[in-house]
Amino acid sequence: MSYYDVDAILTDAQKVPCTFELTVPGLGYLEGNMSGDMKQGSKVELPLWLGEMLALSQSLNTSSLVTLDHPSALAPRVLNALKADPKTVDLRAQAQHFYNLGARILELFDEEEMIDVLSDTYKTRAAVIADQANNVRGALGEGADFLKKLDENERELFRAAHDSAKSVRTWMADLSKK
Amino acid sequence: MYGESGLKLVQHAKRTLKLPHLPPYQTELVRATTREVRDLDKDVAAILEPFAGSFNPSSEPATACALLTNHLCMRRNKRCLLAYHRNRTDKLEEMCWSGIDVLERQQQTAKNGKEGGNSGADGGSSSLSPEEEEYVRQYSDLLAAYKGQWTDIDLTGNLEPPKDLFIDVRVLKDAGEIQTEYGAITLTKNSQFYVRQGDVERLIQQGYLQRLS
Repeated sequence: MSYYDVDAILTDAQKVPCTFELTVPGLGYLEGNMSGDMKQGSKVELPLWLGEMLALSQSLNTSSLVTLDHPSALAPRVLNALKADPKTVDLRAQAQHFYNLGARILELFDEEEMIDVLSDTYKTRAAVIADQANNVRGALGEGADFLKKLDENERELFRAAHDSAKSVRTWMADLSKK
Repeated sequence: MYGESGLKLVQHAKRTLKLPHLPPYQTELVRATTREVRDLDKDVAAILEPFAGSFNPSSEPATACALLTNHLCMRRNKRCLLAYHRNRTDKLEEMCWSGIDVLERQQQTAKNGKEGGNSGADGGSSSLSPEEEEYVRQYSDLLAAYKGQWTDIDLTGNLEPPKDLFIDVRVLKDAGEIQTEYGAITLTKNSQFYVRQGDVERLIQQGYLQRLS
């Protein structure tokens, strides 16, 4: 993940719920309250780039300034749905960069189960994606619905699978011509 | 909320990644983002003023938190701005290498936009910022100087070996007279020639000639 990576920046823009542990003067704008203060205990949805650093930074005598919570995209409800059937869940509606968000959250929290759920989901869905990508009708007919549910990583995968199959076909055609 | 115009810039960059051409430079968004950084800097100065240089974060955790938030917002905006510009310069460099004359094309579209009665808001203006135009100019000079070291090999030439030595070309734009091994040819618009591929490769890349197969 590089500093200039556009996808990394967009991943960091996704919101996570945060709770402020102390009253901060002049930060009310984070809540949409332009001139007020941020009250202790108020819950705000902050982008990951802000929430993460605030949660990690600790002043010398107190605990952290902000506590992070799991984003709604990775709530137990979603994870249970993924455990039940990974193929039908609309990942894009949860988060555009679903897996990247998961990876960032797992850097912050210790959640063995989430790792398993996410990697199993990816494996199961990757097979279906490859299937759809190699099927010419897949992208148009009943596959279109499925495609709308892919997160950004999975779209890349679909594109790669689709393009590679196509380039192999053109290469074969070129060979037989000679 | 700070950081939103920066995010929009990055979304533009994301869209640019998949486009074959370069969309117009987002002057407004860039300006808004830099203005945000300046405002944040002013805020930080205002918060720090009463402390007169002796600020102790552990005794004032709340103020430290406000400062940190402002600082993070500035850093975020910086990252968005850098990523946006890097994305565009990468694309411009790629164009220089593939022989597309970016500046020439800019002037062309600018001219067409004016003749066409300025259709669209950005029709008449270039899609590069003045800084980007300067960058392209200097980068092309650099590339030309680098290529100049090897006279017998064209670094930006086509990697595919040609199938035929001679090809049919049609002239799309007047290009004046060129010298070839077989004497001079005058390229006037809409005329057709049977020439050696090596002689006209650059002109095809630059869009003066069209190859007929």
